[in-house]
Amino acid sequence: MTNIEKYKKAFLDSFEAEESTIEALEYESIAAWDSVGHMVLVAALEEAFDIMLEMDDIIDFSGFERGKEILGGYDVAF
Amino acid sequence: MLTNKTALITGSNRGIGFSILENFAKHGCNIYAHSRKENEDFKMRTKEIALKYGVKINHIIFDLRNSNDMRAAIMPIIKSKISIDILVNSAGIIHGGLFQMTPVSDIRNVFDINFFGMLEITQLVSRYMVRNKKGSIINIASVAGIDLSAGNSAYGVSKAAVIAFSKTLSDELSKYGIRVNAIAPSLTNTEMANTSEAKKERELLSMSINSPFERMAEPNEIADLASFLASDNSSFINGQVIRIDGGNKF
Repeated sequence: MTNIEKYKKAFLDSFEAEESTIEALEYESIAAWDSVGHMVLVAALEEAFDIMLEMDDIIDFSGFERGKEILGGYDVAF
Repeated sequence: MLTNKTALITGSNRGIGFSILENFAKHGCNIYAHSRKENEDFKMRTKEIALKYGVKINHIIFDLRNSNDMRAAIMPIIKSKISIDILVNSAGIIHGGLFQMTPVSDIRNVFDINFFGMLEITQLVSRYMVRNKKGSIINIASVAGIDLSAGNSAYGVSKAAVIAFSKTLSDELSKYGIRVNAIAPSLTNTEMANTSEAKKERELLSMSINSPFERMAEPNEIADLASFLASDNSSFINGQVIRIDGGNKF
């Protein structure tokens, strides 16, 4: 599985969203991405990429695209 | 009761923490045993316990005030994909003295270990528990954090913070299937409570043997409750602060 596939899967599994919608997702743009869902997503990403996100990055993780930039800081290339 | 579970216990090299380690092992739990320093005697004792009960006990060593060392110790556990089912925050220091006679730097030091160190390790481990959608966190508080008698501006207030934090965290983490409870023991018969220095601290903390049973709590009495709270037998107990004080009348 490629990194982008793993990344998308984390969103799909965490929010049970339609695949066609996930690239536009932002924090609190859907009911499932609330503070609880956010930590579920963080856990899924940490497991998928074997990383541990810094607290500042967890707070800054505001959307699908911003998340890709943040994961770049953990040597995850898309 | 705890077979196939794994626990991380801070401050497990002595006192209540060690008693919890032994009790968990007796119930079949594998353990990450935290201590602040390398200790050969502790390693020997845990080796004997591991053999006796057929469990794995791994040592992790760091100072709770050192974030980098803490992360360096916890990360390999997380990367190993071994599920941490139970976190027991038992590490702590005692400090007694009237507020007007206590330097703020002393209070900060007590909070750094008893409260902020506990927060930090809980933040790391609970994120890992979120992945697994299960877990039990047990914070060792103290009746001193409830009764808050004179002399408790450092120790008692730090334990009051532990209690308040436990209640808040239980509400936040219940959504992920994680329970958080606190145990508040009265004076407990540990090595730490019986040194001459500790006796002086106890006087300063206004801690005395007020139980109708006319004795201190024994560490195994605290450990028995910790095992119950760690187990699925307590699956609907969450956000509670349980006193173990023999019916102490403050």
